[in-house]
This record gives sequence, structure tokens and C-alpha cells, in this order.
Amino acid sequence: MKSVISLTFIYLISICEFIFSQTAKEVIQKADQLMRAKSSYSEVKMTIVKPDWSRTMGLKIWSLEPEYALIYVTEPARDKGTVTLKRKNEVWNWIPSAQKVIKIPPSMMMQSWMGSDFTNDDLVKQSSIVDDYTHKFIGEENIGEFNCWKIQLTPKPEAGVVWGKIVIWISKKEYFELKADYYDEDGNIVKTFTGGDPQKMDDRTVLTHWEMVPVDEPGNKTILDYDKIEFNIATDQSFFSEQNMKRVR
Amino acid sequence: MGTYLKLAWRNLWRNRKRTVIAASSVFFAVFLALAMRSMQKGSYDFMIDSSVRISTGYIQVHAKDYWDKRSLDKSMVLDPEVISKISKLPDVTLVIPRFETFTLVSHGNATKVSPIVGINPDKERTILKLQEKLVSGKYLTGSSKGVLIGQGLAELLKVGVGDSIVLYGQGFHAITAAALVPVQGIIKLPIPEMNKTMIYCSLSYAQWLYSAPGRLTSLSIMIDRPNRLDEVRSEVKKFFDDKYEVMTWKEMTPELVQSIEVDSAGGIIMLAILYIVIGFGIFGTIMMMTTERTKEFGILIAVGMKKTKLIMVTTIETIFISLIGVFAGIVISYPILLYFYYHPIKLTGELAEAMLAFGVEPIMPFSIAPGIFIAQFWTVLLIALLSAWYPFRYVHKLKAVEAIRN
Amino acid sequence: MIFMLAWKNVWRNKKRSLIILTAIALGLGCGLFASGTMYGMWDSTVNAAIDRDLSHIQIHSENFKKENLIGNYIPDGLELKPQIEKMNGVKAVSVRTIIEGMAASATSSSGVEIKGIIPDEEQRVTSVAANIKEGKYFEGLSRNPVVIGRELAKKLDLKLRSKIILSFQGPDGNIIYAAFRIAGIFETESSLFDKSNVFVRQQDLFSLIGSKPIVHEIAVRLTTVQIIDQVVNKLRNKYKDLSVETWQQLAPELSISYETLDFELNIFLGIILFALLFGITNTMLMSVVERMRELGVLMAVGMKRIKVFTLIIFETIMLSITGGIIGMILGALSIWITAQKGINLSLFAQGLSSYGISSHLFPTLPVSYYPVLFIMIIVTAVVSAVYPAIKAVRLNPATAIRMY
Repeated sequence: MKSVISLTFIYLISICEFIFSQTAKEVIQKADQLMRAKSSYSEVKMTIVKPDWSRTMGLKIWSLEPEYALIYVTEPARDKGTVTLKRKNEVWNWIPSAQKVIKIPPSMMMQSWMGSDFTNDDLVKQSSIVDDYTHKFIGEENIGEFNCWKIQLTPKPEAGVVWGKIVIWISKKEYFELKADYYDEDGNIVKTFTGGDPQKMDDRTVLTHWEMVPVDEPGNKTILDYDKIEFNIATDQSFFSEQNMKRVR
Repeated sequence: MGTYLKLAWRNLWRNRKRTVIAASSVFFAVFLALAMRSMQKGSYDFMIDSSVRISTGYIQVHAKDYWDKRSLDKSMVLDPEVISKISKLPDVTLVIPRFETFTLVSHGNATKVSPIVGINPDKERTILKLQEKLVSGKYLTGSSKGVLIGQGLAELLKVGVGDSIVLYGQGFHAITAAALVPVQGIIKLPIPEMNKTMIYCSLSYAQWLYSAPGRLTSLSIMIDRPNRLDEVRSEVKKFFDDKYEVMTWKEMTPELVQSIEVDSAGGIIMLAILYIVIGFGIFGTIMMMTTERTKEFGILIAVGMKKTKLIMVTTIETIFISLIGVFAGIVISYPILLYFYYHPIKLTGELAEAMLAFGVEPIMPFSIAPGIFIAQFWTVLLIALLSAWYPFRYVHKLKAVEAIRN
Repeated sequence: MIFMLAWKNVWRNKKRSLIILTAIALGLGCGLFASGTMYGMWDSTVNAAIDRDLSHIQIHSENFKKENLIGNYIPDGLELKPQIEKMNGVKAVSVRTIIEGMAASATSSSGVEIKGIIPDEEQRVTSVAANIKEGKYFEGLSRNPVVIGRELAKKLDLKLRSKIILSFQGPDGNIIYAAFRIAGIFETESSLFDKSNVFVRQQDLFSLIGSKPIVHEIAVRLTTVQIIDQVVNKLRNKYKDLSVETWQQLAPELSISYETLDFELNIFLGIILFALLFGITNTMLMSVVERMRELGVLMAVGMKRIKVFTLIIFETIMLSITGGIIGMILGALSIWITAQKGINLSLFAQGLSSYGISSHLFPTLPVSYYPVLFIMIIVTAVVSAVYPAIKAVRLNPATAIRMY
């Protein structure tokens, strides 16, 4: 009996799913929201892998959506205390050894952030995978044990994004963004994001292992491993200030 | 053969005035061609030298891929023994270690992106000559922990000597490079773009700041004879395996090569025109010499000298005259050009001012590269020998009776 | 009388005179042509630079010259335009909004100068429109069209109609990202220019930065370059707070190379004349030696030495001038003929273009060159005649007649 009920329940759910079928945009939105919150605090290990060396940095990240983020470097020793502040479109750095706050000039925005495969620009770019693109289901595929929607994102003409399109795999059940391929306008893959290792963090289960691979630079990648995430922490804009850059630990 | 030579030699000294006139026309040809080429070559060498001095050096050693990527990850550690061996190679005048990268530089609210170069202050005294460009402050020493910055940059950052600026960038293996450093001197660099951006510091300081102890981004090699470039390069190459690249300025600055080629094409055309003029001069002289001797030739033939013999003798005479002229030309030109090589002509006036403003020393330099002498020796000799065709034809066609009568 | 005699004497030994005449004519003819070609090369380089983006005169705010920030615009720049257009000798005026920024594609990014222009007006001042090699000049696209250089397209791996993201700092310090599409790709003589400049419509920029129209650069094209100093002076008097510069001041390297060229060519002609001087001396010396007996007789019958001296000088001058005139005609003619269609150097164009040199050149020579050269030839002739003439005058008539 119990199993019949549960079977019916599952059947009902799938019917609901069919009836209230979500749009691709809603799926993307849900996946996006899974990783986001009004505010968050996380501890991350960032590993930069180059063909002949690699190095790992410890980061503490505070964020207040959508415009603020503050990143504090905990290791290695020589970089400890360096703070990056993202405020709207601007990137600021606090350099403890010089006791000085520097605003990154526009000409440096395309430069790598802390030697990673991310640019300063990646940190501040306002483009949102929800608002700046039109979304379309293009299939289903399994990635590992996850059954995924495959969704194609095409940038809206006015959006300031370089990509020709993005193809994102999102697991149907958990809304994990397991993989994203970034294409140029000619249809070549430029970089690939993959996520994995789902774990319970604070009130939800999210992917905690991320890899970014630039396709045209073999041997390079940047790995992010989340050790801790707290969602919806108590914070406000005043936390993301120049003064606080100098105080935060 | 010996008798011909003797005969021809005697003939030369029988009419000394004629010989001197003819030989001197060859001499002047050599002299003028040499002077022109020496000036042309001198100005290219000067152009190359002044631009490789502030940029790459004649030859540069770097780790493989550094030139393309310009990343500190492609910096290198060089064995001091190898460096000292390179500096002892023939033609090498100086080896200059440098450590170059980009940095953010900030003071007050102003932040700029600047190239920063770690240098060996003593060696660069003769290369970058920054000590001569100081507007205020002190030049670097090997252990300086301050920086020299361009005057334009100083104005943009609103700093003076003694103020401290913040440098912020990425070091070796992306380790953060950040420091508060005092401005030790302000330099006025002639190229505005450099004046607005450049920062120089001591090599040891750069290596410390960028977490790259003992590492260099490049080893520049200066040589004294630019024409030995390729030989020196292959000598230098022997010290390195394929983890390094040894490049010449020609590979590193192809624009400079092209601009010199354009100039050089013009120079060759000018030289060709000069050859036409001097060719006619020599030919005219030889022709005169020959027609003047019509009567003499007529008599010789009349008394039974074979024409072939006569042709032989006159041709040898022309060869002698050409050789005397060419040798005299080279022997006399050399010290003159040598003098101008060491004491280039100083330009004055508008052009000189314009050049100075552009950071180029207003001089007209000369070259004494052996190649010039060899090339002009053979070219002028060839022109002179071609003129020997005239007496050959003339004697060949000569009719003894008419010749004597005239 | 003495002229006739000199002229006759010149032609007494035709072969000898012809040889030195040919030397002079060829030397000067080729020399002039070579100089003309080189002047032509620089002329076309300068013209190319003027047409490309310099124009004749540019006006900026003093601050913009120090640092080209978006805030360093010309106060009331747009109002200046009609005032300048009304001035005498001004052919066209283009007002440009210039912003340092980045151009990015999916694969790469590059620092560029974003030039906001009014396409129709820019077209009258510079040749960007004419240099379009692919696509059209701001046509065929309705929103945010951009015109970029071939080198930049190559570097960013972009084609016609491709999207290009321009980013720059707006007046409030915020970074603005905007998608543009490539309407046209231009190619000029300067690969540096093609790599670092993108042209967009001013109106698109203004709506992106959400500001009132601002102008950083006013480029002025004159009807003729001759009046440049007058116009510059007028502009400087009128707009005392602004920086008004001629193309020479904007591109000092061009005027330096022009002056260097001038200097080099003078030296070149000097050497040629020097070589000729020696040839002429030799010829005249022989002519004198040959006529020793005759000259001796002339002096014995009472011809004054000064007259003999003048005779030799005149002979030399006539010989040289004849050669000189032929040479100048040859030179002028060859310059004129080649200037009709120009000389195409496209064989070397690859190398030339990175040097900013136009591959199609029109030989030209300042007219003032010819009279100067003419005088130089006479001077050369006189100098080369001195020694032979002295030699003739020093003759002792009696010995001369006996000896020769």
C-alpha cells in the first residue's frame, strides 16, 4: 500500500512536471539561485594549474548580491592579507605590505586575477546567465549519475558578452550546473566549466568542486574547492568598503 | 709575361703626369664611394645601436617561449660561469642581465600600468645611460631599494624624489608582488611614451619583489662589430640547449629591419648613381690617355711590335693604374674615415634640434666595417678594368700609317 | 666673341666632351630622379598619415594632451565646430570622442582607442571610409556598428558581422561593456594604426555613457596645406585655453625623417657633384695639355693671360651647363612621367606597411631644387676649371710652342 501511494505520488509529480513544464529560463534561474543567495560567506581553496607548476591559495569570500564581493587571501604566507573588493563595476585591492588600496585601472581588467584563469573582468562582469541570454532546451544527457537538461544560451544582441553561445548541463533533480561550454561566434569551444562533488553546505546541497579549463591553453586550469559555505549571512553594503578591506580577517 | 709587366711598369713612369691623373681618378672614385657608403652604413649602425641599446641589445638569450608570452613563468636561471664565458667571447663587449615585467604603480588616487625593468646599474651606465638622464635624485646602485621613474610618470602620479609609490603585480608563479618603494630618482626619457610609463630598479630588488631570486627574463649581449652578429649568435647558442632561445635584434624588432631596408634600398640606388658618374670619369680619363698615345702606338706597330703584345702591355698598364688608384684610395681613405668614425660630424641647426628632442644624438656617424672597403675595392677596380676595354679596342683597330701621320 | 670661341673649343674633341657630358647628364638625371622618388616616398607617407587620422590640425584640451581620460574633453566642443567650419581655408571639420578602452572577442582582448565619430563628417576629413576593404562604412547594421582595422580583426579572430565587446571607463568611473558588430574592416599603410583604432558612431557612445555629447578632439582639414600656419595662428588666438597642433607637431617623427631625408639627399648630390668636379677637371686638364702649343701661340701673338684664363673657365662652364641642362631635363622628365601614374612598390608593401609607408608613390621634387642645382653646377664648373686654367696661364709661350 505504502509503495502504491509513493508510486502514485511520484506519478503525480511527474504529471505536474509535465503540466507545469518549466521553461529553460526557469531552469537556469533555479540553478543560478542554488549557488546564490542574497548574501553568502565561503571558504575556498583555489588551485592554479599550469603546465610546469601549480599552487594553491586559500580564500575567504563574502558576497552581497548582486554588486558586492570581498575576497580575503589566507594563504600562501606571502599573499596573506591581500584583499580584493568588487564594488559594482570596480575592482579594488588592499595590499597589506604597502598598506595601500589600489583601484585596478580599466586596462588591467582583462588581466588574470591572482594568476588564475579568471580575469579581473570575470569578477565584476554584471552579465547574468539569466537576464543577458535567451534560453532553449536542446536535449537531455547524462553526466555521471546525473540526468541533465542541456540548455543553450544565446546572448541578447545588446548584452556586452563575448560569447557566441553557452551550452549548460543542469541536473534535473538537483539543479546542479554540472558543466558549461563557452563558445565563440564561430562555434568553437573557448572554455569549459565543470562542477562536481555535491555536498551539504549550510541549508542546501551544492557542488563544491569546480574546474575551469581554457581550451586553447593546454595544461592550464583553475580549480575551486569549497570547504564551507554559509548562505544569507547578516551583512550589508558597509561591509564592502575600502575601510573594511583593511580590517577584515 | 715578366717582360710585359716590366714594360708596362716602365711606361707608367715614363709619363708620370699622365699616370698620376689616371690613377687619381680611380683614387677619387674609391674615396667618394667609400665616403658615401661609410656614411650610409654608419647611419644604419647608429640607428640600430641607439635602438637596441634602449630595447633588446644585439642578441638576447631568454627561456623558451618568453618572447611570445612575456610571462615571468618563462624567466630563467643562468649559470654565472656561462655568463662570464659569454662575456669573454670575441666581439662581445658587454652582457646585460635584465628582469622585465609589468606592474601597477600607484600613488594617491592615481594608478597606472607600467613596465618595470630590473637592471644592473653599473653595466647600464654605458647602455641605457640613465645616470645622464636624471632630472633629480640619485642613480641606482646594485643594492638600491628605490626606483627611478620617468618624468612624465612622476607628473601623472604627482610624486617627487623621496616620495614612496606602491608597486603591485604578479611575481614568479603568480605570487603577489607588492611593495611600497621610495622614488630614488626621476629621469627624463626622450621617447614620450617611455617617459610616461617606465620604472627602473636594481636587478636584485626586482628579483626580490617578484619572488624570483637569481632569475632573469633576458640576457642582452652587446657587440662591437654589428657585422659579426650571426657568428656571435652561433657562439652564444653553443652554451644553451633548446630550453632557451637566442635571438638577434633582427628577429626581435623586424620593424627596425624593414625601416633600415627601405633606407638601404635608397642608399644602394644613390651608390649606383655615383658609380655611373665615377665610371664615366675613369673611362674618360683612360680614353684620353689612349688617344694621346696614338702616335706612339703607330710607331711601335710600324717598327714591328705585334698588336697583341701592345694590347697586353696597355691592358697591364690600365690594371696597374687601377690597382694603384684603388690601393691609394683605400690607404688614404681609411685614416680619414677612421677619424670621422671616432669623431663623428656634429650636426647643428633645425635638424639637430629635432633629433635631440627625439632622443637621437645629432651626429653624422661613419662606419669602418671591413665589408665596405672590400666591396668598394672590388667594385671600383671592376669599373676601372672595364675601362681597359677602350685601349684594347683602340689598339686593335689602329692603322699604323694613319696613326703616325696624325 | 669669347663665348663663341669657348663653345667651338668644347666641340673640338667631340668624343671627350661627349663622355663628360654623358657623365654629368646621367649623374644629375639619375640623381634627380632618385631624389624625386625618395621625396615622393616621404610625401606619400606624410599624406597617408594626414589622410589616415592626423588631418592638418588637431585641437584638444591641454589636459587631454597630458592624459587622455574621458573627463578631459574640450569644453563646449560641439559649439566650436560651426565656428571653425566658417573660417577661411577650412575644408572640413570632424569632432571626435576618444576613449581608451579594451576590445574583446571570445578568444582574446586588446587595448584600443575607441573613436566616436559622425561618419559623414569624418569621411570628409580622413580616409577611413575609403580604406574599407571588407564590408561597408557604418552601413548594413542598424545597432552599434563598428569599423575596425584588419590587424585588430586578425588579433581578435573576428570577421565581418562578428560581435566585438568594447569596454571602457565611463565618466562616473564605472566600466561599461557594450556589444558592437563589425560593419567594415579597414586596412591602411600603418599596421599599428590598424591594430589600435576602432571607430564607432558618436551617438552610440553617448547613449552608452549616458552623458551629454562630449568631444575630445577636433580634426581640421584645410583646403590647402600651404595656409596651415595662418589658420593655426588664428585658432590659437581664438582658443587660448586649448592645444592647437599641426600635423608636424602631432607626428614629430614624420618631420624628423623628412628633414633627415633632405639632409641625406643634399649630401648625396654633393658627393655626385664632387665626383663630377673631378671628372670635369680631368677633362679640362687634358684639353689644356692637348692645346699647349695652340695656347702658346695665342699668347705669343698677344692674347692676354686673363683672356686665356676666362676662355678656359667659359669652356668648362659651357660644357658643364650643357650636361647639367640635359641632366635636369632628363631628371624632370622621368619624374614627370612616373608621377603620372605613380610607382607601385607593392612588391615590398608588406615591409613598407609596418613602417607606415605608402606602397604607391608619386615622385616629386620641389621646384626650388632646379635653380639651386643650376647654380651648384656653375660653381662646380668654375672650381674644376681653376686648376686647368692656371696651368694654361702659367705657360711660357716660347717654351710651349717649342715643347708641344
